[in-house]
Amino acid sequence: MLSRKKFIRQAALSAGALMAGPSIMEAAGYLTPLKLTILHTNDTHSRLEPFPMDGGRNQGLGGVAGRARLINQIRKEEEHVLLFDAGDIFQGTPYFNIYKGEPEIKAMTSLGYDACTIGNHDFDAGMENLAMQLTSHANFPMLVCNYDFAGTPMEYKTQPYKIFKKGQLKIGVFGAGIEGKGLIPDNLFGATKYLDPVQKANEVAYELKKFKYCDMIICLSHLGNQYKGSDKVSDEVLAKQSEHIDLIIGGHTHTFLDAPVIYKNKKGNDVVVNQVGFAGIILGRLDFEFSKFSGQKLAKSHTISVSQKSGG
Amino acid sequence: MNTRLFSSAALILFLLAGISCKTPYQSQSLQYKGYRISNTQQQDSAVLVFLKPYSDSVNSSMNAVVGITETSLEKKQPEATLGNFMVDAFLIMSREKYNTEVDVAFVNFGGIRLTQLPAGSVTRGKIFELMPFDNLLILQKVKGSVLQQLLDLTAYGGGWPMAGLTMQIKDKKAVNVMIGGKPIDPDRVYTIANSDFIANGGDNADMLRPIPQITNGYLMRDAIFDYISKLKSQGKNITATIENRVTNAQ
Repeated sequence: MLSRKKFIRQAALSAGALMAGPSIMEAAGYLTPLKLTILHTNDTHSRLEPFPMDGGRNQGLGGVAGRARLINQIRKEEEHVLLFDAGDIFQGTPYFNIYKGEPEIKAMTSLGYDACTIGNHDFDAGMENLAMQLTSHANFPMLVCNYDFAGTPMEYKTQPYKIFKKGQLKIGVFGAGIEGKGLIPDNLFGATKYLDPVQKANEVAYELKKFKYCDMIICLSHLGNQYKGSDKVSDEVLAKQSEHIDLIIGGHTHTFLDAPVIYKNKKGNDVVVNQVGFAGIILGRLDFEFSKFSGQKLAKSHTISVSQKSGG
Repeated sequence: MNTRLFSSAALILFLLAGISCKTPYQSQSLQYKGYRISNTQQQDSAVLVFLKPYSDSVNSSMNAVVGITETSLEKKQPEATLGNFMVDAFLIMSREKYNTEVDVAFVNFGGIRLTQLPAGSVTRGKIFELMPFDNLLILQKVKGSVLQQLLDLTAYGGGWPMAGLTMQIKDKKAVNVMIGGKPIDPDRVYTIANSDFIANGGDNADMLRPIPQITNGYLMRDAIFDYISKLKSQGKNITATIENRVTNAQ
């Protein structure tokens, strides 16, 4: 039999639950932080096997089979994992000369990549070839917001962004490609139109933030990390001129960063920029913790802690 | 007061205090780790199985040893051994394959696709990795004044491998340019061996775009293979040294 006191308590709790309604889940956002693990590569350049044991600096490093094993292990340990690549999947080993990217794309599908962007060398065997490899072997999207492929074989083969839902989190991911002029031969770049990456990135990020309500916005970039003494668009330039991008996963310059670099965007918020060299030597892992904040908009800032580099 | 009731009430008040459904999550903490992937860690067997038919085929055609390097050749700016080896191959083989005098051969720094050619056996596959592109080795006849513009571009970029000339980089310009032992003559026409990539304006070499290309379809990669064979026929291994072809002016 319920005591009077207990009955009141039950009633109060039920009323509370009714009043709170769907906000119960909201409340959870304040009390328990959400975890998101982002894994990434860039400029893997057809390095499917580890570098050969030839006495070179990189001997034995890289390889998709080792990477796959490690990724599977992380997926077993973490609930919310996303895996991205920042372009230049193609070119660099004889695999590409012989198979034109088929095993590279198949491997990425097998490893469970969630998305990639396009690098300048992904044009190397022609747009028709890239379109064919993606259509035949990819089960992940190639994202790019600043190439207009209208009238080329790549038309409708890429998309500007994709939204991923991981638990309560909505993550908007888009891609940015590098200027083709001087880098991609005219006969390969064809009728592709290169659009200003900063302008397009800001437009897409705004849409993802304001109209798609994304909690986090990620740019997969093949712009390059930074160009000292030049005003060429880079991840650094994009980060500083952006308003809504939280993370830039970069490529192109084959930059091995010991830890992600943080820049302040136009609003004074943090933009995290990372890049992991080339050839799949390093798999980057970023573990974010999210919570909800009400009222005052706090400037977004992060404390990064870095673990030692190690094998899986 | 019952603590559970109190905490429930506090929670309700908290929720009523004006938190909307659209309050976004914000990331606050970030932990980073870079995993070094290597062949000593456990490999995914399914991926190995998928890869095997491809790797069997690639390795059967690419593991053949084509030559020996006595020392490790390196890719560096303004000048290093790996680039010198490549442009020596381009100069010597372009003279032979086009049967004409060639003054200068060069390659763009970004066109060297290995950071190192380790000492020891060099496989066919390694040369594909060094020069994976099907770029053609072409000739162009350029005036000294145009060549100077190109050399300034290479100086701006930190220095490209050069054969047949020496130069210094000063204030991002090419100075003291000597071709065949003589200062560059702006009015003389020089024959340069170059890739079709650069001749078509790659790496912003726009000054070369209007100049006709002489080509016989010879691949730069084949020039490297042929140069290695030529060295071998002379009883020589692959070697290259730093010869102060391209230096930074003090």
